[in-house]
Amino acid sequence: MLPVPRHLDSRFESAETDDDVLVEVLYQEFGPSLLRHVRKATGNDLQWAEDVVQETILRAWRNAGRLHREPGLLWAWLLTVARRIVIDGRRKRGARPQEVEPADADAVSVPDASEQALETMIVTDALRDLSEEHREVIEHTYLRDRTISEAAEILGIPPGTVKSRLYYGIRALRRILKERGVAS
Amino acid sequence: MSPSSRGAHEDVTAYALGVLDEEDHQAFESHLMSCEECQAELRELSEVPGLLDAVRRDRSTSLTGPLDDDRTPL
Ligand SMILES: [Zn+2]
Repeated sequence: MLPVPRHLDSRFESAETDDDVLVEVLYQEFGPSLLRHVRKATGNDLQWAEDVVQETILRAWRNAGRLHREPGLLWAWLLTVARRIVIDGRRKRGARPQEVEPADADAVSVPDASEQALETMIVTDALRDLSEEHREVIEHTYLRDRTISEAAEILGIPPGTVKSRLYYGIRALRRILKERGVAS
Repeated sequence: MSPSSRGAHEDVTAYALGVLDEEDHQAFESHLMSCEECQAELRELSEVPGLLDAVRRDRSTSLTGPLDDDRTPL
């Protein structure tokens, strides 16, 4: 489910020689999708999400020389970078008492709330259907904003084992989600 | 860890989730440049973290909060 139209390929090629053009193209073509994804990760905190998108594009600009120009990969790269920025931010926020602002139902417009609720239910069920070992590593890494080595220490298993279980666990999860129609 | 070992390929999942430690993250990115297998896998995996965020969002609204280390939430 990559939000990158085929016709962009040529634009990315032409952007190859000019970093400024690249950044502009990144903002135009990936900005809105990226913001949508990041908002999910920031619990609909729009300001935070916008900061993350900006930082992500900035990093893309800094890494322009070594970026993948193929749109699908570029998108994956941007998502990974954004995710790491969100995780860092959440860890910093988590380290101090956090003021929880109740979400303003009007300000935070969620047009597809029922669709999201359904998605949450399906993913929760899918996680339950995984083996304990697989569920555990997903839980202790991504869902708790921890790196591989941090999760390894907490679980008392080698980092390589965490990676391996994560590898197969995520694949199993994706297979289940595919069967249930929420992953492509 | 040599770039051609299974270990390097396995990092694609942790990379997609953004949970690799910094050194591994950098190493995998270099590997990714030249590994079409991982590139294909990364594209396939790119929507999974977003789906997992659905669970995270759900928990952040629960009364006990999302990060209670003493409990097994699932
Ligand atoms: Zn590889």
